[in-house]
Amino acid sequence: MSFRGTIVFLAGVLAALGAGWAGFPRVINQTRTQPAAFNHQVHADKAASKCDDCHSFRGDGSFTGIPTLDKCAACHAAPLGATAAEKDFIEHYVTPQREPEWMVYARQPENVYFSHTTHVNRGHLKCERCHGNHGTTAALRPYQQDRISGYSRDIWGGGGRPAMTMDGCVACHRQEHREYSCLDCHK
Amino acid sequence: MSTETSKKAAGRYGMTIDIDRCNGCGSCMVACAVENNVPPAESGATDRTGITWIRVFQIDNGGRGAEKRSAFIPMLCQHCGDAPCVSVCPQQAIDVNPVTGIVEQMPERCLGCRYCMVACPYHARYFNWWDPAWPAGMEKTLNPDVAPRMRGVVEKCNFCHGRWHAAKQAGTSDSLSAYVPACAEACPTRAIRFGNLDAPAADVALGSQDPDSFRLLESIDTDPKIYYRSKKKWVREAANAPRPGKETPRG
Amino acid sequence: MKPSRRSLFQFAGGAVAGALFTPAPWRLITDTALWSENWPGIPRPRRGEIRAKFTHCALCTAGCAVRARCVGEQPVSLAGVSGGLCPFGLAAHHLPYHPARLKQGSASEAAAEVARHGTQGIALLDLNPGRTASWAYRRTMQAINGTYLAEPEPFAVDLRGVKTLLSFGVPVLDGWGNPANVFAARGSFHLIQVEPIESSTGVLADEWIPVAPGHESVISQAILRSLQQGNPSGLARQLVDNGPSAVLGDLPEIPEINRLLGAYGKIVVARPEAPVPESWKKSAASVTRLADLPDNSVRVLLIDEASAVDYIPWHRIARKLVRENPLVVTFTATRGGYARYANHAIPAAVYPEILDDIAPPNDRIAASFRLSVPLVTPPAGMANLAEFAGALAGVQASNSLRERVGEIHRLGQGTLLTYADGKETPLRDLPGDDFWRALNAGGEWVGEPSRTDPPSLQPAPVPSAESTGDLPLVAIAQPHNPPGSPIMTKLYQESNLRLAPNRIALSPADARAAGVRNGGRAVLQTRLGKCGVEVTVDPAVPEGSVRVGASPGIQDVCGPAARAKVVSA
Repeated sequence: MSFRGTIVFLAGVLAALGAGWAGFPRVINQTRTQPAAFNHQVHADKAASKCDDCHSFRGDGSFTGIPTLDKCAACHAAPLGATAAEKDFIEHYVTPQREPEWMVYARQPENVYFSHTTHVNRGHLKCERCHGNHGTTAALRPYQQDRISGYSRDIWGGGGRPAMTMDGCVACHRQEHREYSCLDCHK
Repeated sequence: MSTETSKKAAGRYGMTIDIDRCNGCGSCMVACAVENNVPPAESGATDRTGITWIRVFQIDNGGRGAEKRSAFIPMLCQHCGDAPCVSVCPQQAIDVNPVTGIVEQMPERCLGCRYCMVACPYHARYFNWWDPAWPAGMEKTLNPDVAPRMRGVVEKCNFCHGRWHAAKQAGTSDSLSAYVPACAEACPTRAIRFGNLDAPAADVALGSQDPDSFRLLESIDTDPKIYYRSKKKWVREAANAPRPGKETPRG
Repeated sequence: MKPSRRSLFQFAGGAVAGALFTPAPWRLITDTALWSENWPGIPRPRRGEIRAKFTHCALCTAGCAVRARCVGEQPVSLAGVSGGLCPFGLAAHHLPYHPARLKQGSASEAAAEVARHGTQGIALLDLNPGRTASWAYRRTMQAINGTYLAEPEPFAVDLRGVKTLLSFGVPVLDGWGNPANVFAARGSFHLIQVEPIESSTGVLADEWIPVAPGHESVISQAILRSLQQGNPSGLARQLVDNGPSAVLGDLPEIPEINRLLGAYGKIVVARPEAPVPESWKKSAASVTRLADLPDNSVRVLLIDEASAVDYIPWHRIARKLVRENPLVVTFTATRGGYARYANHAIPAAVYPEILDDIAPPNDRIAASFRLSVPLVTPPAGMANLAEFAGALAGVQASNSLRERVGEIHRLGQGTLLTYADGKETPLRDLPGDDFWRALNAGGEWVGEPSRTDPPSLQPAPVPSAESTGDLPLVAIAQPHNPPGSPIMTKLYQESNLRLAPNRIALSPADARAAGVRNGGRAVLQTRLGKCGVEVTVDPAVPEGSVRVGASPGIQDVCGPAARAKVVSA
């Protein structure tokens, strides 16, 4: 190929790289705001909450996930601080008894089975291992939702893999020699 | 993925089905559909295009009048030790769990070629010809432990993997968790029993060693894990018949 | 420089090569796969805490104890507590969402029309007699001089005490009683099943005796004569030698056979009822059977079809109505029953939406009281016949269950069984409020066994089964089935295990003669009318007969041993 041809080719490569790395994420993802501006740090410091005060295990081993409104309303029936975020939350959710529709960064497709108790209680994994420093942040990270699939762009932290795809689970399972079969993690 | 593992099998889940106790009520079929989110049939579905992970067939001894007697045979995936379906899948959507012995069907990997349906000698695999449709409101009754499938994929019995997950989660040891699949729980005559075939004292282990028990299509060496049992000689002979002969398969 | 076509291709080639090193194409491939999993219309099951709730199944008088697995408050599956459930009970939590459910109908319009007609000649037909609501209906009818109509089956069978059981087509092992009870007792009795086609019960029976359809009476009459002559032979001999024995079926000879076998008062007893407040017994109308009511005597008929355990063919009811302008109001959950004939069809709630008690069962001789407890909320606009009728008569019906439970508690007999913890507590050790709460949490009260002779009822006349030229086939009826969830297609359509309610089954020869094929449509004709049906060709059906499903449409035109003809549609 001629010199000019190579330049044009390389120009194409660079254009694609630029579009793919910089432009594509902006187009494919849609930023959405969470129902309320929840501050994990304030709850950890001022209310002395640990992770499992709100994100706990039930007797049969199932995980409660993100707490329902009654957990929040137990303390926030009336404003405890002076922030606008809390006031909005009480006005829009606590008073009309409406469940906030939290957008879950770690949401998986329906056919995925993940057992928190197996990983936390039997595998002795810490929350931060997959969820990063989520519990110490002052603000929830913006939720960037893929326009086509509807899932979040990232799970928040977790060893260099921003999105919780199957590869993320498989890598750790291979390392720990705990991979057996498909239905272990699917349903 | 499952080939590299250091875990020794803790046993094999299997079943014994006592044909002399089966009254053909169909409770197992309904309980299975409820547990595994199998939708009601489309209006055009027939017994060839419907989805019945467990299906009860009626056979008879070929006699006439008072000599004619029937028996009911619940048919489901036999979870073969040497499953013909595993090797034909182009997507590797079928996986044999080395720990439990369950032949696992992954609808999310399936591309719908139906080669496994051809390969299965027990006709225990079913294809989603249509998208599932539940009457308005009935989708509230779906079981969260089992994912609904879309059209174009094959599905079959997984020995109630949703219940297996729940038992594993609630259990503490690494050995095979004790649980009961929906069909065995629903059977009013306790004809269907489930358990670890390798645990010496288990019901199913003893049942599998009963001299009146047999497996279907023994001659083709699929090593199924479902042991049927009947004291009636004609039932045992029908099970070993090389082709449909005197018995008239109905149902 | 003007860009040439070659440089355009070179640029595009570079772009493609570069794109492969960006996340774009890989993301799009993954997204397509993920999007196909979130296909519109594939629902996501709801998540929530898994809880167990206990109740009793109200679909039939077996009243099996049920443990419901609930996600949050919503039942997602049902299981039997002491054994398996029947296929209908296993999917009964789908019934509130059945597409054929009746949702429209105005109780106030019906009440206004009843008021215009007046209460002279009023009758109430109760298709689930023996409940506390049935007592409310009887008290209402007494207060307004109306008639309370029901088809009671006032006997119960002690399965644990019987050694030989002869059944004329009764589905003892599949649908007659509570499966857990029946199979727990199965080992103790020898079952002889007499029927034209081998049913599920016939398959597991110890002896199966085929009989030409419509000719069961030949056998029962032979047994009766044999016993009356004092020198029993054949089946009669077997019954006498291997007693205690009993006979089940609805042939006219059977009550006398049972009496001669000494079964009455021992094996076949009056069906016991839990205690009832004396004031109710004094103010309740007596139970009248439909056949004992004079024709053309009912001006206003109220029907409780909502929890029906049987279906009475419409012509038997219609002949009791006055010719001029009768008013029929039915309380029902389906459009397919009497709603087809009634002036008003009022939507009623179904199991498991309502609190109701369950009528006494036929396979236990101890009195019992069980509640069916609501697991889901009924939709708005549902009406209740006990309150509707009570309003006509000034009878307060809404507290009846509490009053009844109070009376049971006052007498202090019997035991309370609770399933959540598997305990049995004598009733006298429980305070009244705890008893009520335990029953509402799915517990069961069991009283003393009954050994009273059942009342003798004039048996219903059986039409003769002689062949008539134009109706060549004898109809073999299916036993009545409870309402089924849409998932019952597993048994009716996606397999051939059971005959669907709107289907008939013919032998191959009869199907050819009628010109119908398997899976095709046909018309079933009897002297009572016609009904559109679907056909199954089944070599097990004897030639000269047709096995008919149990839909209301088919039952309206077919009675026992009816003669029929099948023509292609």
